[in-house]
Amino acid sequence: MKTKFLKLSLLALFIFTASCSSDDDKTEETPVVTTKVSNIYAPQTGGQGQPVGGEFTKFSFSQNKTVTDDSWDIAFRGTTIIVNGGAKISTTDTGEPERKGQGAVSIVSGTFASVTAFPAAATFVQDKDKVSAITTGSGNGWYNYNSTTHIVSPIAGKVFVVKTHDGKYAKFEILSYYKDAPAAPSETSVSPYYTFNFAYQANSTTTF
Amino acid sequence: MKIKITLFAIVAFAVHISAQETQKDTVNSKEELSELVITGTRTERRLSTLPLPMTVITAETIAKTGVTRLNEILNEQTGIILIPDQSGFEGIQMQGLDAAYTMILIDGVPLVGRSSGVLDLSRVSVGNIERIEIVKGASSALYGSEAMGGVINVITKRPTKDMLGGSLSYRYATFNTNDANANLLWKKKKFAANIFANFFSSDGYDLDKSTPLKNVESYYNTTIQPKLYYDFSDNVKLTVSNRFYNQKMDNRAIIDSEGYKGDAKENEWNSQIKLQHTWNRLYTEYELYATNYKNDAFLKDENNVLFENSYYDQWLFRPEIRTTLSLKKDKITGGVGVNYESLDRTYFDKNVKFNSQYVFLQYDYNPTEKINILAGFRFDNHSEYASQLSPKLAINYKFNSDFSLKGSVGYGYKAPDFRQLFFDFTNPSVGYTVLGYNVAEARLNQFEEQGQLLSRIPGVDFDKPLEAESSVNFNFGTYFRKNKFRLEVNVFYNSIHNLIETGVVAQKTNGQNIFSYFNIDEIFTYGLEYNSSYNFTKEFTVSLGYQYLIAKNKSVVDNFEDYQYIRNSDLQTVQIQKSEYFGLYNRSKHTANIKIAYTIPKIKTDINLRVFYRSKYGMSDTNGNNILDKYDNFIGDYFTANLSISKNIADKFMLQAGATNLFDYTNPAQITNLAGRQLFARIQYNF
Repeated sequence: MKTKFLKLSLLALFIFTASCSSDDDKTEETPVVTTKVSNIYAPQTGGQGQPVGGEFTKFSFSQNKTVTDDSWDIAFRGTTIIVNGGAKISTTDTGEPERKGQGAVSIVSGTFASVTAFPAAATFVQDKDKVSAITTGSGNGWYNYNSTTHIVSPIAGKVFVVKTHDGKYAKFEILSYYKDAPAAPSETSVSPYYTFNFAYQANSTTTF
Repeated sequence: MKIKITLFAIVAFAVHISAQETQKDTVNSKEELSELVITGTRTERRLSTLPLPMTVITAETIAKTGVTRLNEILNEQTGIILIPDQSGFEGIQMQGLDAAYTMILIDGVPLVGRSSGVLDLSRVSVGNIERIEIVKGASSALYGSEAMGGVINVITKRPTKDMLGGSLSYRYATFNTNDANANLLWKKKKFAANIFANFFSSDGYDLDKSTPLKNVESYYNTTIQPKLYYDFSDNVKLTVSNRFYNQKMDNRAIIDSEGYKGDAKENEWNSQIKLQHTWNRLYTEYELYATNYKNDAFLKDENNVLFENSYYDQWLFRPEIRTTLSLKKDKITGGVGVNYESLDRTYFDKNVKFNSQYVFLQYDYNPTEKINILAGFRFDNHSEYASQLSPKLAINYKFNSDFSLKGSVGYGYKAPDFRQLFFDFTNPSVGYTVLGYNVAEARLNQFEEQGQLLSRIPGVDFDKPLEAESSVNFNFGTYFRKNKFRLEVNVFYNSIHNLIETGVVAQKTNGQNIFSYFNIDEIFTYGLEYNSSYNFTKEFTVSLGYQYLIAKNKSVVDNFEDYQYIRNSDLQTVQIQKSEYFGLYNRSKHTANIKIAYTIPKIKTDINLRVFYRSKYGMSDTNGNNILDKYDNFIGDYFTANLSISKNIADKFMLQAGATNLFDYTNPAQITNLAGRQLFARIQYNF
C-alpha cells in the first residue's frame, strides 16, 4: 500500500510540476511559492460543555508569521477558523478580534496544486453575526471529528481561497490539527497545533 | 494475503475434483430433504421445496461443535459473522446488513432489549435447542419490522412421545468458564413438561494486560426455561412456556484517569401461552406473548460515591392469532396481531409507548408437483410512523428431487426505534448532544431559550415524521445433489432506502454539535453465498462455505466527486478514482469456511474441525475523505479455527474436548471480540 501512496504522490508531484511550468509559459510571472507552516498553536479556554473563549492566534500570509496587530488574514482558536472581514461572529466574545480588514473566503474542492484560478467573487463569504464563513462542527467546515477515536482530521480536498485583509489572494489547506503533524494521530497526540500549506499571490492577477 | 486466498482456492478446487471423481458411489441421506421447517412460512414445510434461502442447524451439529451460546454457533455459519460494530456491541451481520436488521425469535416469538440496535446473542444458551432455522432476505411479509435482513428462529426441544428423559452436562474452559446444563423432558399421555436450566460463568478476558480494563469483565448468568403442555384432545393442545434469564457482570470504567467500579445486571423474562386448534381443514394458533428486558448498571468512584446509574426497561405484549386453511394441494395462512411496546431508560424524558396492529396473509400454491409459489403480504399500522405494506413473492421449481431453482423478491422494513425517536443525551465530558427525532424540535427550542444555541443548520426541520428504513430484496438460488455431493448457491441483492443516520442539526455555543436522526442514505449490498458438502465415505465429510459481498453507499457512488480527495502519508491531498471506493465499513469481501467431520465408529469418536476466513475490512476513514477507499488503513484478513473431539461411551455418556480459536489468532488493538485460544472439556450424561 505504501508503494501505491508513493506512486500517487509522485504522480501528484508530476502534475503539480507540469501545471506550474505551463502557467509559467503563459503568464511570465513568478509562480507563487507553496509554503508549509507548522505547529501554529491555537488554544481555547472552556469547551467540554462550557462556553469557549480565549484569544485567537492570528496569521498573516504576506508576512508568513503570526501577528498581533490588525494585519492578520486568518485566525485560529481550537477548531474555529475566522477571516479578517465582515463582523464578529459572537459580539459578546471578548477573545474574538474585531474585523478591520476586507477579508473573505471561498471554499474550493481539489488538490492544493489544482486550484490555480481565483474563484468567482460571488463565492467569497465573510464572517458575520452568528455565521462563520468557515463553518464549525464536524463535517461542516474544514475537519471531521470521529466520536469514537476523538480525532479531528482535516477533510481532504478542501482548499480555502482567502481574500486577505488588504484585498490580495492566498490559498491554504489544513494538513493537521496535531503537534508535529503525525500521519496517523492517536488519542495521545497533542492539539491544537495547526500545520497548513499556503500560497500567497502578491501580484494583481487572477491566478495563483 | 494473496497466498492465503490461493491456498484456500486450491483446497476448494481439490475438494471439487475429488467430488467429481467419486460420483459413482451412492449415498442415501435423504434426511435433510424431508426435514420440516417452520420459520419461512409459519406452517410446517419441507425444506426441499421451500423457495427461500434457508439454513437449518440441528441439535446434533450443535452438540458436536461443543459451543455453549447462540452467538458462537451462528458465527460458524456461512454468510453470517458476529462482529462488534462501531458502537462496540457484538452483533450479527447477514447479507451485509447490520445486526439491527435481523429478527431473533425463540420458539417463534421475538427477543427484545437491543443496545444501539444490537441484540446480545450470548443471552441464549444452546443447551436445549432442537434446531435453529435461519431465513435470509427480507421477511417482513410475515414478521414485520426488524425482519429486513432475515429471521433467526431458535426452536427448543419438546417431548414428543411418552417418556422421561433428559441430559446433564458440564463444561469447563479457559478463562475459568463454567457451563452447566440440566434438561428434563417428561410426557405421559395428555401431559408433558420440560424444564431446562443453565448456569454460565466466566472470568472474561483481557487482550491487553497493560490497560486497566479487561475486554470482557467477569460475569455469570442463569437461564431457566420451564414449559408445560396439555393436550385437551387430538385437536386442542395447550403450551405454556417461560424463560427467565439473569446476568450479573462487573462494571468497570476509566473516566479522566479515574477508576470507577460497579455492577451491570440484566434480567429477561418471556412468557408464551399458545393454544392450537384443529378443526377439519382449519388449523388455528392463539398465542399470547409477553416479555420484559431490563438492565441496571451503576458505577461508583474510589470513595464509594455513586457516579453514574443507568437503566433500560423494555416491555412487549403481543396477542396473535394465526390460522391455516389446507386445501387439496395448497395452503392459505392468515394472521392478526397487536403489539404493545414500552421503553423506559436513562436519557429518555419519559416512558415511551408504541402500539401497532397487523394482519398478514400468505398463499402457498402448488399448481404442479414441480412448482411451488409463495405469495404473501403483511400490513402494519403503527402509532409512531407511517403504516407499512410488505409484499413477498417466491417461486421454487423442482426439476427432480436432486435439482431445483428458487427465486424470491420481498419488501422489508425496520421501523425507527425508540432511541432514534426519543433519545436525549448530552455527553458530559465533550459536550455534544444527541436528540431523538420526535423530541428534537422542542429540545432545540429549549437550548435556544437557555442561550446555548449558536445556530441551526438551515433547512433542517422535524415537520415530517421519520420514515421507516426499507429494503427490496432479491434472492436467486439453486439446490443440487449428485451422489455424495450437495451444493447450494444463492445470489442476493438488497437495496435499502431511507437508512437512518445521525446528522448535525445545530451548533452549540460551546462549539459542539447537536445531532439528530435522519433518513439520509441509500445503500445496497449484493453477493453470492455458496455451500457445498461432500461425503468421501460414511465417516468423512468435508463442507465448504463461501460468501462474496459488496456493500456500498449509493450516494457515495453517485456523488463520488465529494469523496475523491484523500490525504496521503505525507498529508498531501491526492485524487482517487471511483473504482477505488471500497464500500461500507466493517464488511469483508470474502468470508469462507471449511468444515471437516470425521467419525471413527469403532471407538465412537467424532472429530470436528472448522476453519474460518475473513478478508480485510476497514472500521473508519483514515485519509480524510470520510469513506473507506483502498488507500485507507485496513484490518488485515485472518483465519480462526475451532476443534472438537467427542466420544460416546455406552450411549449414556459423552466426553468432549476441544479448542476455540485453535490457532490463537488475536488482534488486541483492532478486534476486541476475538479472545485467544480457549481449551475446553465437557461431560454429558443422557438418560
